[in-house]
Amino acid sequence: MIGITGLRKSFGAATVLNGIDLEIRQGEVVSVLGSSGSGKSTLIRCINGLEKIDAGRITVDGFDVSKPRDLAEARKRSGTVFQLFNLYPHMTAVQNIALAPVEVLKVPRKEAEAEARRLLQQVGLSERADAYPAQLSGGQRQRVGICRALAMKPSYLLLDEVTSALDPEMTAEVLSILANLAKGGTTMVFVTHEIEFARSISSRIAFLDKGQMIADLPTEEFFSDKGMALPRVAQFLSKMRKD
Amino acid sequence: MRYGDFTPYDLVLLLQGLGVSVALFVSTTLIGLVIGTLWAVIRFYRVPVLSQVVAFVAELLKNSPVLVQLFLVFFGLPAFLKINVTPTTAAVITLSGNSAAFIYVIAVSAIESVGRDQLEAARVFGLSRWQILRRVIAPQAAAFAIGPLTGLLVNQLQVTSLISVIGVMDLTKVGNILNLRTLKPFLVWTAVGVLYYLTAKLVAHAGARFEKRLRAHTAWKGL
Repeated sequence: MIGITGLRKSFGAATVLNGIDLEIRQGEVVSVLGSSGSGKSTLIRCINGLEKIDAGRITVDGFDVSKPRDLAEARKRSGTVFQLFNLYPHMTAVQNIALAPVEVLKVPRKEAEAEARRLLQQVGLSERADAYPAQLSGGQRQRVGICRALAMKPSYLLLDEVTSALDPEMTAEVLSILANLAKGGTTMVFVTHEIEFARSISSRIAFLDKGQMIADLPTEEFFSDKGMALPRVAQFLSKMRKD
Repeated sequence: MRYGDFTPYDLVLLLQGLGVSVALFVSTTLIGLVIGTLWAVIRFYRVPVLSQVVAFVAELLKNSPVLVQLFLVFFGLPAFLKINVTPTTAAVITLSGNSAAFIYVIAVSAIESVGRDQLEAARVFGLSRWQILRRVIAPQAAAFAIGPLTGLLVNQLQVTSLISVIGVMDLTKVGNILNLRTLKPFLVWTAVGVLYYLTAKLVAHAGARFEKRLRAHTAWKGL
């Protein structure tokens, strides 16, 4: 379980997260929605320890991410996929995926690379296994990014606007993979602007506005009267749907 | 045959001088690479006190003439510490220190050239600082550094000629001797210049080849 209580985070004078409470249980797919600047990405970056939190507590399977020793354990349990892929440019797709298993989990290189190839095959990239990121399209890069996170066999997948940098076609290829993962029972925290997709795969929707969580509802309720009763949510959804 | 004429043996002398220059260049470059990189790693880890000391020493070495440093090591140290310093030792110490200082600067900027996104990607997967440095930063920093490094080394090769003034029998010193004997400065210094030029070209060529290899991953091979 990922447990977040009273989370506060500010950058200088700007408060980005202002008292967030959220719980993500094993098997859940929780989508985090909200307009740009609402603190969605920061939330992910607090969970994986890339940002130091100012107040509150975040635990991943009981490990407190603000304690350095716990953070290492917490990080082994969550896999992050980045908006801009963040692949290592000097490594091939396979090497990108095998790096952390070899270095952190001490899996023998041969085994890790075989597993990497298996993952790449799952996302339809077996022929590109030995290509460098510069030789891959955006959608292909993000699929490698997803494989890299999966290779660590994480209990939780943290997805930070993973399709924002992709065109609709590439977005579709990435989303179909995520849909498969969701069906397979992978726990996900999914920060996104893809509302329809979020609706189709999530068990719950959390809605952030100006650093506060103004809704945390089961998906059907969020998209029904209960969610629409919240003016901010209604406004957001109507704007997004016009596009 | 007059005393001042060229003899075939002069060619051997020139090549010997070249050998001394190249040997000094290679050894001081290797020492400089090790020390300069080590200094950059100390800075990367932000080791307290040591980082500041390293930055200060590098500043001193960068901002004073190599010739002055050479005199200080060759004449100053023996007088101050009452020890004996041979010309070769003085040359190795001075040139290594000088190369280290400039390699430090290149290494620092190369490390800093690696994007934050790279560090974050490695950190969230639990890699240690050392693993990140070795697996993620070093290969990318090397690809970045090889260009400036090649430029520096070509220059450092020329700088080795300064050591002739304290009596090391390098290429320039041999040229000096031949010049005094034959009194044909145009011929002698042309020959010496050509030898430096060819060696420098070789260094640049090796650097370019190495760069191509380190940057292989950026090559576009089509989707």
